[in-house]
Amino acid sequence: MTLHGFVVRNALRNRRRMLLTMLSVGASMFLLVTLLVALRELTNPPTGIGASLRIAVPSKVSLATELPARQRPILEKLPGVRAVTPLTWFGGRLNGEESFNLPQFGIDARYFREVFAEAILSEADWTAWMASRTACIAGKDVAERYKLKVGDRIRIQGDIYPVDLELTLAAVYGIDGAAAADSIFFHHEYFDEAMGNPGTVGMWWVLAESAEVVPGLIDRINATFANSSAEVRAETERAFQLGFISMLANLKLLIGSICAVVVFTLGLVTASTMSMAIRERFRELSILKAVGFRRRDLFAFILAESFGLSLAGGMLGAGAAVGLYSSPLVTKFSKGFFPIFEVTPQIIGTALFVAATLGILASLMPALSVMRLSVVEGLRALD
Amino acid sequence: MPIPLRYHFRSAVTRWRSTAATVLGIALVVFVYVAMQAMAAGIAGVGANTGDPDNLLVTRRGATSEGTSQITLEQLRILQHAPEIAREPGGAPLLSADLAMVINIPRITGEGNANAMVRGVSPRGRALRPQVGLVEGRWFEPGMREVVVSRRMARRFAGMGIGQSFKAGGNTLRVTGHFDGGKSAFDSEIWMDVDETRSMFDRANFSSLLLRPRDAAAAKAFAERLDMDKRLKLRAVPETEYYTKQTGSADTFKKLGGFLAAMMSVGAVFAAMNTLFAAVAARTREVGTLRVLGFRRHAILAGFMIEGTLLAFAGGVVGCSFAAGLAHLLTATGFSFGTFSPQTFSESVFELKVTPVLITGGLLFSLVVGAIGSLLPALRAARIPVISALRSL
Repeated sequence: MTLHGFVVRNALRNRRRMLLTMLSVGASMFLLVTLLVALRELTNPPTGIGASLRIAVPSKVSLATELPARQRPILEKLPGVRAVTPLTWFGGRLNGEESFNLPQFGIDARYFREVFAEAILSEADWTAWMASRTACIAGKDVAERYKLKVGDRIRIQGDIYPVDLELTLAAVYGIDGAAAADSIFFHHEYFDEAMGNPGTVGMWWVLAESAEVVPGLIDRINATFANSSAEVRAETERAFQLGFISMLANLKLLIGSICAVVVFTLGLVTASTMSMAIRERFRELSILKAVGFRRRDLFAFILAESFGLSLAGGMLGAGAAVGLYSSPLVTKFSKGFFPIFEVTPQIIGTALFVAATLGILASLMPALSVMRLSVVEGLRALD
Repeated sequence: MPIPLRYHFRSAVTRWRSTAATVLGIALVVFVYVAMQAMAAGIAGVGANTGDPDNLLVTRRGATSEGTSQITLEQLRILQHAPEIAREPGGAPLLSADLAMVINIPRITGEGNANAMVRGVSPRGRALRPQVGLVEGRWFEPGMREVVVSRRMARRFAGMGIGQSFKAGGNTLRVTGHFDGGKSAFDSEIWMDVDETRSMFDRANFSSLLLRPRDAAAAKAFAERLDMDKRLKLRAVPETEYYTKQTGSADTFKKLGGFLAAMMSVGAVFAAMNTLFAAVAARTREVGTLRVLGFRRHAILAGFMIEGTLLAFAGGVVGCSFAAGLAHLLTATGFSFGTFSPQTFSESVFELKVTPVLITGGLLFSLVVGAIGSLLPALRAARIPVISALRSL
């Protein structure tokens, strides 16, 4: 029998324990992967192709404060600006739903394809959208979720604004890359009209001519409206999205702490299983010692078993996570809060690394007691 | 005849290492469960703890919160002399038109900005909210760009010490005092004069009216009259009812806590089974001896079940103590959690609230985990044949 075979046989001789340990480690690993993915999705906004050229221009007071429409011609004249569109978050409820479930924006449709270059919208679809004042477009994911098809009527009840919008779906857009197409876009003009032309917009979305001019342009935009009655806070789209993460406040800390607790529990389980397994084998290990195996050989046996068991459990958990999250389950359950829930290779790597480390750590205690063990004592041990 | 508990207790103590690991493992599961539910309870507690049941809050019909509600000057003029409203000794109606709005300001940690709620409030609005009391400094002077912030907000945002100032949009605001909202939603707010707020942030309208009706009948009459009035498009609800519905993200925490607990308990059940199976295997001879002494199979089964369940229960007790200890520690150090509330669109501050109901839930949870985890090992122990048990080494 090879040493290899010896380790494998040892691990397999109490199948029930092996299975229970693997399931236990697997369950914790699954949870860890889930938490890590959630943390990543919360802290890593997806970046589209055009994101580096886009500048978000909300009011300096806060997102909930509107900006005057008269700022538009001033923005358009600034050097380095390619296009400007209003972008107003409507935040309403779709077709009589109980709660807000997907983003809807008012936008200047003329510039939609230019500003959001990663959106896939054919010329014909765009023309269809442009043709009607009450037309709107919906993302592929929205259309799937609500089983919408072109020509359907959509009613959005305003919660933030005291108006309801009656829209007709003109086209469905997709998005290049991993990002979710999870919004509805409608004509800002129609919204203005419904509101009685208040002359305000939620915020501006500015497309720069090139990535180099972006930093200078941001400063110019901020300076242009400084000390006016409507100051703005221009920032890159990425910085803007990172701002939302800051608003989540202690949630990040919370998920981090829970991860720590899970890992600690995992270590506890593995360590206690390994001690049990080794304590039962004190006698045989003493015999091995008596026969002439060195301490480091014994240590290697224990280490290999613990490492293998823990890693197998880790793979089980991570595998389950990959399998489960490749379906749009989480998106459905979180009602679109997590449009994507992607288990990245880094996260799998982290999980397996944690499992392997715990496997090694768990073997230290029992290995130490075996190494200290005197042969005579070990042979006398009863259980 | 049942096996004496002492036997199980002593066995657990003899194998103290694996006992401790099992207890601690279950303790951590229960801890996470109770702590998450305590957060949800804390958030819900803030809503339940805010307002005066005698007050009515008027908002735009259809608005989900004060932040999305608007009350025009005209609407205020129509309503302010309504006969249902109680009056001060001087004859003025007990009514306050307030403006709640969100500002984006930097965190004290320097890690970016967050939204905070500013309430423009009239002197009568302060009187109608007796929960809010000044704890340090003085109240703001209207027209002086002065604010009073909640003590909890002062620990979360930059420039909120007394005498310090911070910028909101293009305006600099000076902090003259700290108030305490008595664990209500007002703890997440910054207060200043209402007319100053309107002029500073260029708002023509108010966001809500808070008023004190003469009595319960008047309150009902007022609310019904507002409901019938197609012209005003306003709605009046008791102040307490409004805040109870502002549960913010309590539901998210509840669900997250449930999910985490479910996942972690799967791991814990397997781990507990492992420990108990090992315990049963190591005590095969003892079980045989017990059987020879006359203990029946069901006594063995019950004994091991009780042992496992008690172990888990001990874990539950430890876990609940952890959670209660954490909540106590956070309160003692003045630390409060903050999270984004989708309803107010701003940060809401809350405390962990470990209630007796949650403790009971945590303990029950540990009992269930223990019972499930010990069932199979106990069955195995009960099925051990006596002869082979006695022979085994």
